[in-house]
Amino acid sequence: MAAGYGWVQSSAIRAGEFLFVSGVVATDPERGERLHGTLTSEAHRAFGNLRLVLEAAGSSLEQLVQVRAMIYDRIEYDALNRVYRQYVSKGPPARTVWSVRIIDAFKVQLDAIALV
Amino acid sequence: MPLDRKVIEPRNEKLNVSRNFNLPHSPGIRAGDFIFLSGMLSTDPDTGERSPGTMAHETRQTLTNMRHLLESAGSSLERVVKINVLIYDMLEFENMNAVFKQFFPVDPPARTTCGVQLSAGMKIEIECIALAG
Repeated sequence: MAAGYGWVQSSAIRAGEFLFVSGVVATDPERGERLHGTLTSEAHRAFGNLRLVLEAAGSSLEQLVQVRAMIYDRIEYDALNRVYRQYVSKGPPARTVWSVRIIDAFKVQLDAIALV
Repeated sequence: MPLDRKVIEPRNEKLNVSRNFNLPHSPGIRAGDFIFLSGMLSTDPDTGERSPGTMAHETRQTLTNMRHLLESAGSSLERVVKINVLIYDMLEFENMNAVFKQFFPVDPPARTTCGVQLSAGMKIEIECIALAG
């Protein structure tokens, strides 16, 4: 997904039993178009893309171990959580929410480590 | 055969912030030989409430709680390999660092420090990856 923008990164790297995933944002998985929207819409798309990357590598959302969920403004913390809990299972991954500036003015970016 | 994935929790239930505040994450996950912790804020171990204060106070309380959580899972601060420190203002870096040094006197872990917005007016949040016991 990232390659189309000239970003110098792999979608993910597998090392042993671990998968290290690059920050995932709300891009269209077919066309690569940036799908800016609300925090809620971007979070749904980012989780959809994260699932695609994980499953392409033989992992899944259930096998996430640690997530850095980045949001553009702390005021959206509860909005993030409402979407977030729909995608993580019982025994959810360790997580830290980082309120930071995100590339291309996206509102959400998910940085993850998973088991394969 | 995939590696085991197991939720880890602090022995002191007052420090199980994700459960007590109904947040969608676990205190930590053990996966294979590693332990991955969620970001931790300064929490009072007797009441489970947030314990805001100076940067020195919050840093000390957060690392004390992190030690407790790691030890609850058979690990320790000495086994931390990577730590991310988020603080509300980089001007406070030295105030954080002075306390941090007391918890990691020799061979400290790899560390990244960033200035970010934090929840509820707290001054510091810390997450880490450690070797399991």
